[in-house]
Amino acid sequence: MGIRPTFSIRDITRIAVFAAILAVLGLPGAITVFGGAVPITAQTLGVMLAGAILGPWRAAAAILVFEVLVLVGLPLLSGGRGGIAVFAGPSVGYLIGWIVGAFVIGLIARSGNREPRWWRTALGCAIGGIVVVYAIGIPFQSLITGLPLAQTALFSTAFLPGDIAKVIVATLVTQALWRAYPRAFEQTVRSTPELRVAAYNKSSDPE
Amino acid sequence: MIALYHPGTSVLHRMPAGAKVLVFAALALAITVTTGTVWSLPLAGVITVALYMCSGLGILTLLRQLYTSRWIVLVMLVSQVIFLPLMDAITNTSRVLVVIVLAALITLTTRIPALLDATDHALAPLRRLRVNTAAIGLLLALTMTAIPVISGFASQIREAQRARGVPVRPQRFVVPLLVMSLKHSDELADALTARGIE
Repeated sequence: MGIRPTFSIRDITRIAVFAAILAVLGLPGAITVFGGAVPITAQTLGVMLAGAILGPWRAAAAILVFEVLVLVGLPLLSGGRGGIAVFAGPSVGYLIGWIVGAFVIGLIARSGNREPRWWRTALGCAIGGIVVVYAIGIPFQSLITGLPLAQTALFSTAFLPGDIAKVIVATLVTQALWRAYPRAFEQTVRSTPELRVAAYNKSSDPE
Repeated sequence: MIALYHPGTSVLHRMPAGAKVLVFAALALAITVTTGTVWSLPLAGVITVALYMCSGLGILTLLRQLYTSRWIVLVMLVSQVIFLPLMDAITNTSRVLVVIVLAALITLTTRIPALLDATDHALAPLRRLRVNTAAIGLLLALTMTAIPVISGFASQIREAQRARGVPVRPQRFVVPLLVMSLKHSDELADALTARGIE
């Protein structure tokens, strides 16, 4: 893993398209609970998928780009929320957690740039998409709302079932995408021949 | 796409975006630091109302912002009333509400390009670390143009599946969306390379 990633134009368009997918997953029709006061939407599914498909650097970049657009005032978060106000509210920690979480998911699910295995994807999404996001989100929420840490954490467990369901969906989707379109997993940040051979074998599979 | 910007010619509208963000940050910090004192929140409330009035947005926009935050207020109040004394719960919730409504003021009075320019400006020091800030601008522009395209893919898939009576399941919707979007991303890369952008 290089310290400083260099992105090719192919990486840049992937990052942009994934940031746009995140935006589309927040449009009406996606699941919202409590009007989206705290993120429990299809957008966290997008965060997991970004990590599992794009790998750490490009996934973190995609989430960052999406959040910059929200920051400058596009109403892209679920429920049509956007602007600096979102980053001044109690859910700012979860938004930061998304960036770090996507990176961690990418590290676990795509480390060594091997072909995706379901258990690595599931493990990555559970650790990056739940543990990391909550570990960053809950302290910020507690700090901003003034509710002690333990009580805030207790309240956040209400969102755990939804997030576990998203880990399952993200894993199913990632494996289905590997069968349907292995090129999606090409890494140009640090390309290794291994994956290309694996992708070739997979696509020429006669099944 | 509907931007949150409200056109106008007030002092707030004409203020540089960067300066506005810094003033807001200072105000938010002041509100948070002085939160224990009696006069802090009423004063912040008065300042907020005054700013909404003098920026020409009016009381209606302010009320609309409060209405947008109704769920945050509800969830916060419920969780706080259970664990904290009533006065603390109200103070905490109003503090968060004032800061959110103040922050919304920046978005309401600043055009998106101005905020993008301010972002670009803030990122300038990164150039010293050999970060390609021009690529960041390209990325943001590409994303904004990609959103309607991908949203179009999403409705295509929904219509096709409805026409064939496919039961709605998340993965049946997301997998085709990802395949279409990632193919689009590769075509976009080829098109940009053909135009000499690398």
